[in-house]
Parts: sequence; structure tokens; C-alpha cells
Amino acid sequence: MNSPTACFHCGLPVPAGSRFQARVLDEPRAFCCPGCQAVAEAIVAGGLDGYYRHRTENASNPEALPRQLSDELQLYDRADVQANYVQHQGELAETCLLIEGISCAACGWLIERHLRTLPAIAEAQLNLSNQRLQVRWADSQLPLSQLLGELRKIGYVAHPYQADQAAELLQRENRRALRQLGVAGLLWMQVMMAAMATWPEFNLDLSADMDRILRWTSLFLTTPIVFYCCTDFFKGALRDLRTRHLTMDISVSLAIGGAYLAGIWSTVTGVGELYYDAVGMFALFLLAGRYLERRARERTAAATSQLVNLLPASCLRLDARGNSQRVLVSELSVGDQVQVPPGHSLPADGRILAGQSSIDESLLTGEYLPLPRAVGDSVTAGTLNVEGPLTIEVQALGAATRLSAIVRLLERAQADKPRLAELADKVAQWFLLIVLGVAALVGLVWWQIDPQRAFWIVLALLVATCPCALSLATPTALTTATGSLHKLGLLLTRGHVLEGLNQIDTLILDKTGTLTEGRLTLSRILPLRDLDSDACLALAAALESGSEHPIARAFGRVQPAAELISHPGLGLQGVVDGRHLRIGQAAFVAELSGQSAPGIPGDQGQWLLLGDQQGPLAWLVLDDRLRSDAPELLELARQRDWRVLLLSGDSSPMVHSLATQLGIDDARGGLTPDEKLAVLRQLHDEGRRVLMLGDGVNDVPVLAAADISIAMGSATDLAKTSADAVLLSNRLSSLVQAFAMARRTRRIIIENLSWACLYNGLILPFAALGWVTPGWAALGMSLSSLVVVINALRLSR
Amino acid sequence: MPALYVMIPIAIIVVALAIWLFFWAVDSGQYDDLDGPAHSILFDDEDPKHKAGVEQAADKQDKTPPHA
Repeated sequence: MNSPTACFHCGLPVPAGSRFQARVLDEPRAFCCPGCQAVAEAIVAGGLDGYYRHRTENASNPEALPRQLSDELQLYDRADVQANYVQHQGELAETCLLIEGISCAACGWLIERHLRTLPAIAEAQLNLSNQRLQVRWADSQLPLSQLLGELRKIGYVAHPYQADQAAELLQRENRRALRQLGVAGLLWMQVMMAAMATWPEFNLDLSADMDRILRWTSLFLTTPIVFYCCTDFFKGALRDLRTRHLTMDISVSLAIGGAYLAGIWSTVTGVGELYYDAVGMFALFLLAGRYLERRARERTAAATSQLVNLLPASCLRLDARGNSQRVLVSELSVGDQVQVPPGHSLPADGRILAGQSSIDESLLTGEYLPLPRAVGDSVTAGTLNVEGPLTIEVQALGAATRLSAIVRLLERAQADKPRLAELADKVAQWFLLIVLGVAALVGLVWWQIDPQRAFWIVLALLVATCPCALSLATPTALTTATGSLHKLGLLLTRGHVLEGLNQIDTLILDKTGTLTEGRLTLSRILPLRDLDSDACLALAAALESGSEHPIARAFGRVQPAAELISHPGLGLQGVVDGRHLRIGQAAFVAELSGQSAPGIPGDQGQWLLLGDQQGPLAWLVLDDRLRSDAPELLELARQRDWRVLLLSGDSSPMVHSLATQLGIDDARGGLTPDEKLAVLRQLHDEGRRVLMLGDGVNDVPVLAAADISIAMGSATDLAKTSADAVLLSNRLSSLVQAFAMARRTRRIIIENLSWACLYNGLILPFAALGWVTPGWAALGMSLSSLVVVINALRLSR
Repeated sequence: MPALYVMIPIAIIVVALAIWLFFWAVDSGQYDDLDGPAHSILFDDEDPKHKAGVEQAADKQDKTPPHA
């Protein structure tokens, strides 16, 4: 069997007989859809085909990106809409755009280069880490809507971006963390030079005067390290003392604070050891560990969190005379009449005034088939109008919609989230208790022997046993593992996921979009007359190619039929090779031949009839397909003896047939988000540790409350932001690999913790005997930290 | 030894300068994107200005004979 050619642009399979071709890099290439072809042609026309030479990932399919209509884009040209995010400086306007569809570094180059070739653009700079484009341009020559259109042409969707408070705070904190790290590094080197000169190991001919100057110099240079760089440790220690927790912060603060205070004492009196360089080294190592961990976690999390747009930005409002005008959803009020064309989401809760269609509520309820709706029925904001145009009367907006009710449920659920104990915290607790106990004991003994030396020996002991390696043990391992998982396609957005994955004993799965692909695909063709399945499929595809209907995507794109007419709610009609054809509902198709409609022979899926003037030709069955790697995940669950639950909002028999197929004993269908959350609470009451895997808005409360939650990459934005991790690749098999990685990470963390404890245990007796000088303490600490970091790096392979 | 009386203050001044420079770099956003610039070097060959510069340099080398 030969595999289908992959689309040169996006890598999806090219449907057989496709005619979408273009010359790229001096060779004809095949494309899967007109969207990819158009983007590739635009890129080549701009002389930017170097993009294809340098890219490391396939581009996003332009048809999978959110659609932006040209009249919707033109709303962005209105001054009142722009006021929030466009700044004007003389001729030039400046704005920040959030770009969707970036898959690798070459995308950044393509976007910047394409924009810079436009005469109106003064400056375009893309930040690859958070996928924001800063652009300055002359908006008198190029309106914002055209700028967005230019990006669309090369396959990216741009949204005007307004930094919210959380994002600004994040950036400020990131910069502060970096400054603290830099200051600690720069000053530590100077302190080391000054302080080490006074150590007996290096002190050859230092005059008493010079000794004093060096001591004061290092005190002067250490002070900013303690008060500027280490404030977070002290704050953390205070917080933990108040809540009566012994944590790493307390241990670190004790060592840094003790060494600094003792340093002041010995600087003023001129006797005693100097530990200033140890202060700098702690600060640099610990800050570096935390900074790396922070960067790994926030990398793309920041980008996904910005896109919580479940509702369309604009809609068509009808005025008293029935003329439609495009307005922002925020301008709507209750009682307005809104027109919703097929293929668009509903902007508000309302009642249907005119039109007949089916509504896809899968994101809200988990029902995988669109449900028919007619005049008088209620519809919900955020759902998708599938077939015909609808006119609805707005009944609830914004915070009053059913969608917002789910979001509020999410906020309540977040408070329920249990905290998984982290290994490092437990170890730190014991470690601190032991060190403090030993220090007290050693101090007491030395007080009896030589009260003069007691203080210095206790200090040496505290500094030598500072849990530097111990507190680097976890962050370094987690950072490396997070990077490796990102390459596998699992993006961790919260810190506890990797350790938590090892403690899971229950798996909750959603059906639509999680275990299944979440979109309709052609599953069977039942020919009824002389034509075979392939011929029927070709006819059906020709009819569907002219349609915007989501069902049409299941057929791929071919040459559309002639004289196409769409009958909303019924089906399509057209002419292929002089043959009049209809596809859609049985009665509608049978009407063409004047025969009575045949009954639907099965119950699962969406049944479409294809027929001509002589009668029905074939049944085409569309169904939501199971992801091919779902059994792999369930096999893992069985191996690890987890309890598996399938909780779906879908009330169709498909839930149970799927559960039987996969061997899931506990499958429940037709659940509301509330009921799903209740099941989770019950599991928590039983003391179970739950992993939730979901994608829809109806899964969001459970995702927020579960011990660990993972959202599919194709999930709604809200689901992605409330989950702890996002499966960007959409491959359930990556999840299986992630579990293996979690185990390896845990092993490395334990190794690291044991090594750190071993080192501290070894040096303890020497410190207690008074043999450890600052020089030896510094050497030991850097070596043990190095071992921990190198060990953690093994996770990147 | 007396040199140290001069060198220590100079060292402190140099560090202060370095910190000031570092703060300025952080605040002007030079460290905000630590991923993109790493790749940008790969695209130099696609830049006509860069190519022109390389060719010019190559021409010069050809024209000026090496010193014997």
C-alpha cells in the first residue's frame, strides 16, 4: 500500500486526484487544498521561498485556522475599536499582534521579511517565545485590516493584542528575575576575588591594612546580593514560617542570612572567617535554577493563555428595515436581532426567529452530531450554526449566557484542586530538622570545650550544609524533562504535572474530541444501485466541494459540480456530467426521482443519501472516528491498574459502544458539566488521584478541579488554559511516552536528592569537628551542585 | 601593593557600569525573546544585503594580491 502524498505546505495527506499544484523551489509540488496552494503561491511570489528550505516543521493548515472575514477585519479600522491597542506617533502607528499558526523559527523569518517588503511598514519584529509581533507602520497607506490580510495571505492569523494585567505582571517578574540573576553573577565574581584573597590558602603577604580594606570591599559588594537578589528567599521563608511549614526557603535563608551577619561581625572586628563568597554562590546557583524552571514553564503557556475567545468578535445585526450591519459583539444589546450565516458561531444566547438549521453543540455538551433547530427553539452562545442562515433574537449576553455559567463553575472548581505533595518539600523538611538538631548539638558540645570557637563552627556547619545541591536537584530535573516533553508534543504549563503523573490512580476520559477525532469523517459507503462506492464518492465529493458546511470537509476538495444549489437543512443539488444529483436527507433526495424515501438502515452516525433522477444511488455514513492510538493509552492504564472512566456529555449510544470497543467498564453518557464535576468530587472523597483528559468547554470545570488535567491540542482555548498540560501533538501515544518520562524524571530527582543528602551527610562530621574552612566549603558545594546538574541533563536524551 | 588602592575602586566602578548596562539591556527588552535570535543567523543567506556584503568582501580579496 502506498501512502498518500503529503501536502507540501501543511503535511496533511493530499486527496487523490487533487489538482492543487504550484512550483516551489523549482519543482512542482502538490497541495491538499486551495488554501495551502494560495499561501504557497503568495510566499513564492514574494521571493520568500527560502522559508521552505529552512523550516523544520510543516506549516499550519490555513483552513484549520480561525476564519476572518474581510468585513469583520474592516471593523478593526474603526478608530473607537483601535483606541485600545494602537498608538499613534505622527505618521506612524504602532501595535502588538498575537500571531496564530507559528510552527517553527522559519515562520518568524517569513513574517518579518514579508512585512518588511511592504512600503508602508517601518518596523516589524516578531518575538518567537510568546508569538507576538510588534509592528510600526504608516496606517494612512495601509489600514490595519489590510495588514492583517497580508499576514493571512502567507498563512497566519493575527489578533490585535492588548496586554492584560496578568501578562504585564508576568513580564515584569521575568525581567526582575533576570536582573536579580545578573546582579548576583556580576557581584559574586568581584566578591570572590576580594574575599578569597583573605583566605589563609591564598594569603601570602597581605598587610593588616589591606586585609581590612578587602573585608570592607567584599561587605560592600555582598550587601546588594543579600538585599536585592535574595529578597524572594527571605519572603518565602517568612511566609512558610507563618504557616508553620519547614521548606527549602527557610533553609536557604538561614544559610545566607547567617553567613552574611557573621561576615559583618568579622569585618567590623577583624577576626573570624569570611563567608561572603558563599553568599554570592548560593544566590547565583539558586536563582539560576529558579529562572530556568520559570522559563520552561512559562514558555508557550503565555501564548495560549491570551486566546480565550470562544465567542466571535463581531456579528451581523439587523436594523428595523431588515438591513444587516456588522458590529462588535460588545455593541449588542438584549432584544436585538442578529443574523448568523452557516459556519459561524452564535454570539449570544437567544431564540430563533427565522430559518432552519442544525447546531453543533459539541464543545458545550459533548454531543458529536449537530442537532436540528427550527423557529422558536433556544440556542446558546458559543455553539456553531452548521447548515442554514438563522435570525435570532438576543436574550442573554456576556456574563448572563450559559457559556459564562460554565466559566463561573470553572472558577469554583479551581478552588477544589488538591495540591500534590512534592518530593523535594518533604525531603527539605527532614533535612532542615536534622541540620538544625545537629547544629544545636554541635554548638552545645563546643560551648563546653571552647566557647570562643563554638559560634564559628556552628556557622561553618550551617554554610557547609546549605542545601544548594538539594534545592537545585528538582528544578534542574524538571526543567530538562519539560524541554524533552515539549519536543514530544506535550506542553506542561504548571509545575506539579511531572511529579504528579506518578501518583495517579484514576483516569477520566472525555469522548468527543479526546478519544475520537472530534470531527465527522466518512466511515462507510453503501451503494444501492449499479454504481460502485468509488464512483458514488466521486459524485458526492463533487457536490459537497461547493459547500461551506463542516460535513463537506469529510469529502475533500475536487472539481465542484455545476449548478450547485444548497437547500439548508435538507441537502445539496447539482449537475455532474449532465446528471442531476442530490445529496442530503433521504426525503429530499427521493423527491428528485419521485420515489418514496428508503428508511435509514443503521442508527450510528450521520446518514446521507445520494441520488439522481432515477432513484437513490448510495448511502454515505459519516461518523466520528476513534483516534488510532487510543487503545495504546488504555493498555497503559490497564498495566498500571488504574480505574478508567469515560464521562461524556453525548447521550447517543455511541458512548457505550465505544466503551465496549476499548474495554472501559465505567462509561456514562449525557452528563452536564455539573454532573461531571460531581463524579470527580466523589472520586476525590474516595481518596483517588485523578488524571483528566478532555477538550470541550463542558470538560473545563473537571479539568480545573482534577489533580492533573491534560487538554488536547485541538481543544477550546478555555480548556487549554484551565488544564495543567496541553497535548499539542494531539497524539495519545505522546501521553504514553510522557508517563515513561515522568518515571525517569522521578528516578533522576530521587538520585539527585540522595546525592545532595549524601554530600551533606559526609561533610557534616568534618564541619562539626571544625575542619571545614570557607575554601573547602565552596569547593564541595560547587562540585556537588555540578554533579546534580549534569545528572539532570541526562533527561534531555 | 599600593596599586590595589587604585585597582579596587576601579573594579567597583567597572562592576557598577556593567550592572547599569545589564539593567538597560533587560529593560529595553533584549532578553525577552531568547529563542528567535538563535535561529535568525540561519537566514542570513536569504538576505540580499548580507549576500551583497559577502560578495563585496570576496571581490576585494581577489583584487588585492596577497603580500609576498
